[in-house]
Amino acid sequence: MAEPALDLLVIGAGLSGLSAALFAAQAGLGVRVVARGLGALHWIPATLDLLGYRPGREHAVTQPLTAFDALPAEHPYRRMGAEAVAAALDGLAQSLAQAGLPYAGHAGRQNIPLPSPAGVARPVYLAPAAQLAGRLDDPAPLLIVGFQGMRDFYPTLAAHHLAQAGVQARAVYLPYDLITDRRDANNVHLAQELEAPARRQALAHALRGLVAPGERIGLPAILGIDQHVAVWRELEAAVGAPVFEIPTLPPSVPGIRLHRVLVQQISLLGGRVEPNMAVTDFAAAGDHITWVETATSARPLRHHAKAFLLATGGILGGGFQSDPSGRVWETIFGLSLTVPQGREHWFRPAFLDPQGHPVYQGGVQTGVDFRPAADGAPRYANLWAAGSVLAHADPIHERSREGLAVACAAGAVQAILAHLGHPAAIPASRSAGQPAG
Amino acid sequence: MHPISWQSVDHSLDECIKCNICTSYCPVSAVTDLFPGPKYCGPQAQRFREPGQPQTPDDSVDYCSGCRVCNDVCPAGVKIAEMNARARAQIVADRGLPLRNRLLGRNDKLAALGSIAPVFANLAMHNPLSRLLAEKLMGIARHAPLPRWSENGTFRDWLRRSTRRRLRGPKKVVYFHACSTLHYEPFVGQATVSVLEHNGYEVIVPPQGCCGLPLLSNGEFEAAAGYHQRNVATLSSFARAGFPIVGASTSCTLTLKEEAPELLDMHDDATHQLAQGTWDICEWLVQLHAVGELRTDFQPMPWVLPYHAPCQQRAHRVGKPALELLRLIPGLDVRESHARCCGIAGTYGYKTEKYQIAMDVGQELFDFVEAQGDELVYTACDSETCRWQMEHGTSIPSRHPVEFLAAAYGLYDLERRALL
Repeated sequence: MAEPALDLLVIGAGLSGLSAALFAAQAGLGVRVVARGLGALHWIPATLDLLGYRPGREHAVTQPLTAFDALPAEHPYRRMGAEAVAAALDGLAQSLAQAGLPYAGHAGRQNIPLPSPAGVARPVYLAPAAQLAGRLDDPAPLLIVGFQGMRDFYPTLAAHHLAQAGVQARAVYLPYDLITDRRDANNVHLAQELEAPARRQALAHALRGLVAPGERIGLPAILGIDQHVAVWRELEAAVGAPVFEIPTLPPSVPGIRLHRVLVQQISLLGGRVEPNMAVTDFAAAGDHITWVETATSARPLRHHAKAFLLATGGILGGGFQSDPSGRVWETIFGLSLTVPQGREHWFRPAFLDPQGHPVYQGGVQTGVDFRPAADGAPRYANLWAAGSVLAHADPIHERSREGLAVACAAGAVQAILAHLGHPAAIPASRSAGQPAG
Repeated sequence: MHPISWQSVDHSLDECIKCNICTSYCPVSAVTDLFPGPKYCGPQAQRFREPGQPQTPDDSVDYCSGCRVCNDVCPAGVKIAEMNARARAQIVADRGLPLRNRLLGRNDKLAALGSIAPVFANLAMHNPLSRLLAEKLMGIARHAPLPRWSENGTFRDWLRRSTRRRLRGPKKVVYFHACSTLHYEPFVGQATVSVLEHNGYEVIVPPQGCCGLPLLSNGEFEAAAGYHQRNVATLSSFARAGFPIVGASTSCTLTLKEEAPELLDMHDDATHQLAQGTWDICEWLVQLHAVGELRTDFQPMPWVLPYHAPCQQRAHRVGKPALELLRLIPGLDVRESHARCCGIAGTYGYKTEKYQIAMDVGQELFDFVEAQGDELVYTACDSETCRWQMEHGTSIPSRHPVEFLAAAYGLYDLERRALL
């Protein structure tokens, strides 16, 4: 008896690839994710940013779902519509909450300003619950706490910038050996240290001695990994004041938590995520992709599937590659890109130009069903694309990276379900299993 | 002088985007300050390893266990483990290496020596006094899980004894049994042969030697090149003739496929043919299953079975075929380990100064096994040293996946580890 053919092969294990795999697995499809290493989720603050800025405007968006009109007509959000975009994000947040990683946002679907590690407001649509008490539209004063010797987290800098923006904030450093005996440790090691009750109690004791009545305490995002919610809630209870996490530079512990929960949920539904499979080749018969090959220690490994989803990201994720001449290409299927070919056209003169930079706005063009298209027709009948690889969006400037990833993933999976003749709806409420914490 | 070539890793150095994912997942730097992490010892230090630079690489690179988890998780395709292996070889080339590492690198010779008089060898090696002496004099950790020599003859002895019972037929595979099966665990070879024959394949066992991996991981590249050349000489003609070469020692098949050619800069046709023709046994069986040609007349096994895909198996980058095969056995509730490494990493955990690090690394896996319940009968893993370490860390017997397949076919006794 031969193995049944795979329904969906997802290429890329960032938020778009993993969200799509989860949505597809929830709908009952057989899914495999192949990727080169563990990707983009290890770099992001793990908030789900929907739309923070509009092209040409310098002030932040407060009502992201009603601001789509300011985006280019071909922007994926405008093609999907606000309702579908919101439903996709809600669906993911619900699955994450059921898996023990709660996310929340503004009751009126507004953006919430949350502090960056430099103390600058970031317009966030949905955030991990542990980040929410840092909202900057709340007048309660902030106590930003760091650790002497911890790299890339500087509470004085953050408090200084917050104060400049009119937020009442002060900074304190605690000794490094309060949270670790290691000579040198990165954020992941520190988060693992805080899963030990003794470390948490020592930290809670120190924080109780520092916090003034009415203050909220901001800590670098190292409050546990697998037991994060318990670590955070216990710490908050022991201190007796609101405690929140401020995301850090990579490796980003909130991003790693998100990655782990998504992989776990996909696995519980029978899907597989293979992080060490770099795609090297593919074959098509007519307008159908028949297989994709990944590199192994010897012969290439061939993956047959009914549908393929390209979720390889942009330049950083490895979805595009460029050479010194300024040529830019899509790395797997050689799809045509809207990215300007020629370095002199990549950037506008001003680094922070409110129009953004053309190189970040370009990508793969698709039809409304997220199939990469050439001259208005799908390039392949069974290839879809989602996330930062897409054209007509500027995830960096718009602060829309996660919203785009999740919304396009949902849109593409809908189209894939329809293509496979599957009852074409994304169940918003089905979850894979028991809460992780 | 820098006799170790940096070919094959040079360009990958420039791909590093300093994202720290490798350091976040490195199982060694997670438990000790002695290893600062893959990024620091790999792509960061690599910039200074240029001909003419006065320093050999930083000594801390010797604390890399070579598990390759860094390569697995790197999103930029940087060959971090290869950088570390070459850096260690550079240190060895510059300063030589201790007798202990010379011996551990030549496990094939030690094993052959013991097989002359295995009962005596077991008595001599497996007693507290000799282990204490080995620790004090040689730096071989006294509690580390050394294997026992087979007292029923080697795998080749069994082959000779059973020649008349071996299947002959038009479908043939070549079996690379490796040193451990030859001297310590001939029953793994018997299980492999029985599974292959049950599926209608004649098993050819040509002359072969150690793959050279212990030498590679102890930094003796020149000696390893000699070993690999001998295997290329005896085995590549089979690959050229189209016979698949399968092995049940997953780190040894990885060495034939990739590690030896890459680290030793061997890119001739014969080396390439051997690499392309070599398969891990489960990788080969699963592709047989994919085309509907694997027999699935498995008898049920009513157990919970924790399965750990060892680092060297994951480095094949073929998924986890053993998991797929074990799940074909009715009743077997296979639980997949996501632990990064058992700690032993070939010869690493046998070294006195690294024994505790290896045990601390393995704790994640031991905890996973323990969490699967009190009724466990076995664990499963594709690599021999990892099985010994798992038994050492959990006190639960461990078996190769192919032993389960042989048992489920009704050909093999899992407890006695003998053919029926």
